Amino acid sequence: MAVYRRSRRHRFVLVLLVLTSITVITLDFRDQGDGTLESLRSGLRDAFAPLQAVVGKVVSPVTNLFGGVARYSGLRSENERLRRQLAEARADALKGADAERERRLLLALQGLDFVDDIRSVPARVVAYAPSNFQVTVELNRGEGHRIAVGMPVVTEAGLVGRVVEVSWERCTVLLLSDPSSAVGVRLAGSGEVGVVRGAGPRSPLPLDLIPVETEVSTGEVVVTSGLQGGLFPAQIPVGRVRTAKVEPGALAQEVRIDAVVDFGRLELVRVLLWKPGQ
Amino acid sequence: MTSDPRFRVPLVLLVAVLVHTAVTSRVTVLGARPDVLLLVPIAAGLAGGRSRGAALGFAAGLAADVFLTSPMALSALVYSLVGYAVGLIQGGLLALSPLFTVLTALGASAAGVLLYALAAGVLGQALVVGRLPVVVLVVALVNALLGPPALRAMRWAMGSARLGRWQPSIQP
Repeated sequence: MAVYRRSRRHRFVLVLLVLTSITVITLDFRDQGDGTLESLRSGLRDAFAPLQAVVGKVVSPVTNLFGGVARYSGLRSENERLRRQLAEARADALKGADAERERRLLLALQGLDFVDDIRSVPARVVAYAPSNFQVTVELNRGEGHRIAVGMPVVTEAGLVGRVVEVSWERCTVLLLSDPSSAVGVRLAGSGEVGVVRGAGPRSPLPLDLIPVETEVSTGEVVVTSGLQGGLFPAQIPVGRVRTAKVEPGALAQEVRIDAVVDFGRLELVRVLLWKPGQ
Repeated sequence: MTSDPRFRVPLVLLVAVLVHTAVTSRVTVLGARPDVLLLVPIAAGLAGGRSRGAALGFAAGLAADVFLTSPMALSALVYSLVGYAVGLIQGGLLALSPLFTVLTALGASAAGVLLYALAAGVLGQALVVGRLPVVVLVVALVNALLGPPALRAMRWAMGSARLGRWQPSIQP
């Protein structure tokens, strides 16, 4: 009987924990990211942030070693400087490709937002999501720096993603490559609009809803569309077309783009103080 | 006080969370990240049996969920089931060989990743299914390597190699 009682106790513990988990999951869904649970989550993240930062700094030389870079500290600052210069040059080239078409439409599209007019907050990436099923990063800026959920995040090269969670000290950014990410975009050449979805890290991004009759060129620039109801301001570079093909009988082209931002090497970003609907 | 499991177990959990969020989150192998927090319920199940495996799995899963945007307690649900299952498999064994520990960590980690993907899919989380085999492989292999030291740490935390492990009674 002692054997049977012990087994019942173990099963009771498991059932209790499973039911508690299901209850918490249900409560989290019901609150939709805006309730007591989310406040608790934010508070715990903020409380843990200093310790996480210290440990991250201590072990970063070891973790960087896995990237196979020799003499890392000596080359890092020069590498960052060169990447910044290259990213700025690329962004200028991408904007220039769209500028001519944009100039022709300017009178008809008044009120279109330009990123350069939007105030921003600089931030540093302090952590990557410790998960294989999410593609997010954590920044060292939060509500205390006027950052709010929904704000776009960019680098000099182009679009990184948008803020999906924020606490007082930190915020979480959903990267473009996350499978749940979707961005309204426009092809710079034809002006055709579509949607870019995330497909996981290190994968080209699918571009949907491009009609089969639209001419799409390899290397063509893709920028955010900024259409009404969109999540991002217009004209932020997103990527370049890698491949475009039409399957027999398909209603839309299969287009894949390469993002302009290297999501595996994010360091410094800017959070645009802009919210959808502005 | 420092030999009290009520002090040591939270300490081991804290160290595991730090390693998970500040160290292994910066490391990718074949594009996948290790999941060392999944070792907590596995080691707890091996060292302390079903209930302890499930309870520590729940705690480790909640800690993991704090740093994610997925539904709170999703990892807690998966990790508690993994910890219980490992404790159930281990129950009745008089001794754990290193090979058994490695194989258990390998299998339980693979099962944990698949269970998480299944649960996340059921809850409507977007996943890239094509990457799942690589993720399972990387997580399972890394945890298999770290299994024996994780078990040692958990045994130290719980205070005894056989603490709370039920032995099957032999009826005459």
